Amino acid sequence: MPSTVSASRLEFLTANRKMTPAVPISASFLERLRRRDPDALAEAVHDHARPLIRAAKALGFAEQDAEDLVQDVFTTFLEKLETFEGRSQLRTWLFGILHRKAMERRRASIKDDRMDPIDEVFESRFDADGNWTRPPADLERLLLSKEIGEIIRGCMDGLPVNQREGFVLREVEGLDTGEICKILEVSVTNFGVLMHRARARLRECLEIKGWSKP
Amino acid sequence: MISCKNVAKLLMSDQLQAQSWWTRMEVRLHLAMCGLCSRLARQVEQLRSAARRMSDQDEADLGLEDRLIRRLSGR
Repeated sequence: MPSTVSASRLEFLTANRKMTPAVPISASFLERLRRRDPDALAEAVHDHARPLIRAAKALGFAEQDAEDLVQDVFTTFLEKLETFEGRSQLRTWLFGILHRKAMERRRASIKDDRMDPIDEVFESRFDADGNWTRPPADLERLLLSKEIGEIIRGCMDGLPVNQREGFVLREVEGLDTGEICKILEVSVTNFGVLMHRARARLRECLEIKGWSKP
Repeated sequence: MISCKNVAKLLMSDQLQAQSWWTRMEVRLHLAMCGLCSRLARQVEQLRSAARRMSDQDEADLGLEDRLIRRLSGR
């Protein structure tokens, strides 16, 4: 039997993970944006531009293209302000625009991967009773190494865009499931499939990199 | 008892919190006894931390917001 771990190390599994809270937009701030108050626009850009740029880069857009895309997001946001009722969070609205713009540019669809070869790779790790036949390699040293940022960046390049987007919104930006499902326009179940595939792909990639690292 | 495969699926799909109290308890007990699944659970956490560090390491672009505001204001 492999070594066990103490219960305290597993508390994160049942505790609610700390998420970046979604801040509701106030009526007065919305009104200032509608009046095209430059300070309100600057505030919105300062609060949201960097996470949007990170998400755009994660979707595979190069530095300048990511910035153009985010400018496009804010432009669309300003144009559609009259239809924004303030019931949605500003962040959810902006990420939603980014997602649709990115998909338009990529002509990709979030629903285009009902079959994914990574599912077979995952299944092949278990026998018919669900026991490990190819257990997860020990990646501790690799995951804690200085080079891990660069290695993950390389592995993320191999993810389909929708999986990369879901992974970044969840793991880097810390958004909760409900907000991500609104942004990506997917069900909770579909989001679970996306996350499972993203992590399975990243793990497989890291295992390969782990072998080549002394 | 819940299988390693089902535990791995729940850990990797972020669906654990949505499960019943009983299932979450089964997973917890399984992880306390199975070193391989608890290794996977740790890796899910470490992967998250590493991805955040990767994002923090992105080159700081100090002029980003001002550049965007100028471009938006110039419309």
